Amino acid sequence: MTDAISISNAQLRFGETVALDGVSLSIRRGTCFGIVGESGSGKTTLMRAILGLQRLDHGEIRILCNPLVHSRAALKQRAGFIQPIFQDPAASLSPRSRIRTLMNEVGTVLREPHAATRERLGVILNRLGLPPGVIDKYPHEISGGQARRVAIARALLMKPSILIADEPTAGLDVSVQGDLLNLLQDIRRSDNITLVVISHNLAIVRLIAENAVVMRAGKVVEGGEIGSLFGSPQEVYTRDLLAAWPSIRAANTKR
Amino acid sequence: MAISLRNLSVDYSLQQGTAHALRGVSLEIQEGEMLGLVGESGSGKSTVALALMGLLANNAQVTSGTATIEGKNFDLTKRNATAALRGRGMAMIFQDPMLSLNPVFTIGAQLCEVLRRRAPGSDRKTRVEMAQDALAKVKLSNPARRMNQYPHELSGGMRQRVVIAMALLSEPALLIADEPTTALDVTVEAQIMREIIGLRDRIGCAVLLITHSLGLVTEYCDAISVLYAGEKLESGTVEEVQRQPGHPYTRMLFDCEVPIDRQRHADASENRFTVIAGELPDPRLRPPGCIFNSRCDVSFEDCTTINPSDYPVRNDAGHSARCLRLRTP
Repeated sequence: MTDAISISNAQLRFGETVALDGVSLSIRRGTCFGIVGESGSGKTTLMRAILGLQRLDHGEIRILCNPLVHSRAALKQRAGFIQPIFQDPAASLSPRSRIRTLMNEVGTVLREPHAATRERLGVILNRLGLPPGVIDKYPHEISGGQARRVAIARALLMKPSILIADEPTAGLDVSVQGDLLNLLQDIRRSDNITLVVISHNLAIVRLIAENAVVMRAGKVVEGGEIGSLFGSPQEVYTRDLLAAWPSIRAANTKR
Repeated sequence: MAISLRNLSVDYSLQQGTAHALRGVSLEIQEGEMLGLVGESGSGKSTVALALMGLLANNAQVTSGTATIEGKNFDLTKRNATAALRGRGMAMIFQDPMLSLNPVFTIGAQLCEVLRRRAPGSDRKTRVEMAQDALAKVKLSNPARRMNQYPHELSGGMRQRVVIAMALLSEPALLIADEPTTALDVTVEAQIMREIIGLRDRIGCAVLLITHSLGLVTEYCDAISVLYAGEKLESGTVEEVQRQPGHPYTRMLFDCEVPIDRQRHADASENRFTVIAGELPDPRLRPPGCIFNSRCDVSFEDCTTINPSDYPVRNDAGHSARCLRLRTP
């Protein structure tokens, strides 16, 4: 099976700070890949590098076997197959335009008639459980969970084969969180999308990803198949992360 | 001395009408205990804290409610009812320490300000010493240097420690922590929770922990109260509520938590997550009957008409829930 994304020896410094320190990983097509680690470990920087929003000092990123090129044309072309869902959906939606305007932009980029975009959007909104009226609203008029779903709808409208979600469940209630994760799972299966989930929620990554890496201070501390990574972590840091996870296990065993 | 809050109701006047954010919420926290107040966004958790602190927005109106703190009664419907307690009887830890610390003053200046109020008449040198001591107590590295630093020079976890040090200096009878670890990493979260526990044990205050993480509540709290759409649905000791949730909503909340050791399907795309179907009712127009009725999986006829009162669960005086299924025929 071919790799959707492969990164070899990615290095990046911001002044004194080492943001990425020799990160190498490969993500198989059609799988879900988790990237976990504390804040400042370089998770989001890595995502920005994969999207071509951040140049690397050294190293190479290949997306669907093609090396990442930094040019406007390449960026535009890439938008057709790799799409992000940013951490703060409300901040990633322009506060000054209605959701409709935002979605129409997708049509412009795809050079698709607006009517066709709108038809596909209707299907996607329905699937995401969003009311059709949501497109006439401004981002501040919708709830956090809805904003996140709008961000996902926008990403899906581009018909990507790779979806990168940065902290998709941060700040969501447990009930809404489950809804969103089930949705991502559905999309993954029906559209055979490669899903990259960046999160510090270990319990969730453990359930939806096949493979994962643990990052710390710009390095990959440990990586591999989820079962063995979480079942028998080799590194001290991975064990610490797992131990720090607040769990309600105590009650379940008591029952 | 126990802290109690009785029959708190808060309205927000909005363009679209009056939203009833809280309806008759009562809480009780024993001295030296930590009460976890859980609920979804929009359930009114933060409004409880803000009403106690007297920090509600201008469009909010406390329509009823009294609080007993340090043996004194406060009528919360009056503006600034608890002003005398701010900085002395009550302290609050907010979700984002970057927003609760003043960016233009050093850490030291902000800590000393607390002491000027707490211990008027003390001289500057003593205050600086006490502030440094507090920073050391919350295990902030190099306290002397931190005193002269500004909030932006510290990490999120360090900032939250500063806020805890502030609370420590004001020696409150009630500490309110509103989502104190939401902005922090798991590893830092555990440290900060330990500091809050340390603070509680040191000064013996009551702690109100507002959170949507049941994991935190079960790990650190003594008691739990569940809030839904502005109404308290259940309360009791963490152990009892966890062992046998009296209200379907509490049970569903517990089911939604994803334990780190949950059974995992070999094909990761097959793993499903539990959800609570439906949405919060309109805060402007309360449906008759049980507030949770529309999302409940065990509701029956009476639930649409009768608003349940508080029933004890398993004849336990400390554990009660507002569900008609607990009615004794």
